[in-house]
Parts: sequence; structure tokens; C-alpha cells
Amino acid sequence: MTKPSAYHIMRVAMGITFAWIGILIFKEPEFWGGFVQPWAAGLLPVPLKEAMIGTAVLDLAIGLLLLVDAFVWIVALVATLHLGLVITVSGIDSVTVRDIGLLGAAIMLFWEDAPESLKAKFRRFQH
Amino acid sequence: MTAYVILFTMAAFGIAETSYLIRTRKANKHATCPIGGGCATVLESKYNALFGFHNDILGLAFYLAMALVTALTVIGVEPIGAWTRAATWMVAGALVMSAAFTLIQWRILKAWCFWCLMSAGTVLVMAVTLVL
Repeated sequence: MTKPSAYHIMRVAMGITFAWIGILIFKEPEFWGGFVQPWAAGLLPVPLKEAMIGTAVLDLAIGLLLLVDAFVWIVALVATLHLGLVITVSGIDSVTVRDIGLLGAAIMLFWEDAPESLKAKFRRFQH
Repeated sequence: MTAYVILFTMAAFGIAETSYLIRTRKANKHATCPIGGGCATVLESKYNALFGFHNDILGLAFYLAMALVTALTVIGVEPIGAWTRAATWMVAGALVMSAAFTLIQWRILKAWCFWCLMSAGTVLVMAVTLVL
């Protein structure tokens, strides 16, 4: 089914955002690691810098896949879980508050691209 | 940093656009033509390939390369001077090709392709960003 232009505008905008943030984290992993709350950093099985580089790779992969319109609902689901985790471990401040908007956009992309069979399972909970 | 953000954003636009054109061509479908109606005329003309490669594939390769050199420059991977020179030469080449394809649409095919003009505009913004 053909998707509306708004969907594609949102997909490309999200792709650019994720890819660019991935590059910025690659540039300064320690700086971006500073947003992680101490309690969350203590739970990490690897050093914070390595965890942030892993985050950068994930962000780049999400961004590129969104740009080329591949596996969008799966990528958007991963992005949703990732952003949920980011908000949880970093808290809400003047920078991370924007992740709420990104989270909403990721949920929208997931829902718009998810297969009908999966949507039907969600709808079953409504009755 | 602003210049790199613009270059990367333009490259990302290009990646999304050329991916769409490749996907549409592989599926034997006509590309959506949001403005004007000459997309099929242009995209299916004899000018849609160069050196045996479809223009959409050449475009995707260019935009991916631009995204890569911009990323390497921002991250600070040496040799940064070489990445900057590579970006300048790639954009110069793309600008010449875009001008030629725009001329072909205008004078020979007498049809405008929204996606081709958007790509030409993207390359033009990249060139202006590099010059400034």
C-alpha cells in the first residue's frame, strides 16, 4: 500500500537525525556518556566508552536503514526501545527532552509500517 | 560544524531519494511525480545511464561517499585534508553532471523530472556550502 508523503518526510528526517547523532557520539563518546545517570552506568557490563560506541553504531544503522526505506517497522521498533532506554538512563533534561518527540515519531513509523497481522494482535487488546 | 551538518543532511536526502528511484526501477514501477509530470519521460529516456550504470546508482554511490567523507571529517579521522579535497572534487563532478542533466531535460527531452531537479538542487546546496 502506498504510504502518505508525511510518512516519508518523517522517515527521512528521523534517518538523518539518528545517523547524525551516531556520528556525533563516535566523535565524543565520553561527552555523550556523561548523560548516562551514575546508577545506570554502574549496571553496564562494559566500560561506558565502549557502550557509547555501540550506541553510535546502533544509531548509524537505524539512520541508514530508515533513509533507504528498509525493514522500517523493525527498525522503528528498535528505535522506540532504544529511545525508551535512553530516556530511562539519562533522565529528562533540556537536551534529552527532545527524545520524547523522537520517541513519538518512532512509534508512528512503527505503527504505519507494521504488518496488518501484527496490528490485528494489538487491536485484539481493545475488545 | 554547521557546514558539515548541511553537507551530511544533503547527502542523506540524496541517499533516500536515489534509494527510492532504484527501488521503483527494480519493481518496474513509475516513480511518483509530485510536481509536473515528466518523471517517466526523463527517467526512462536514453540519458538515464552513464558508463553503463544507471544514474540513480551513480547518484547513490556519490551521496554515500559524501556522507562517509563528511562523517570521517567530523569524527576527526586522519587525513582530514584528503577527505575535504575528496568532497570538493566529488561535488564539483556532481555539479557538472547535474548541470548537464538539467540542460538535457530542458533542451532535449523538454520534460522536467522532480527527482532529478531535487538532486540537482541538493548538489547545488552542497557546492554553495563548500564555497562559503
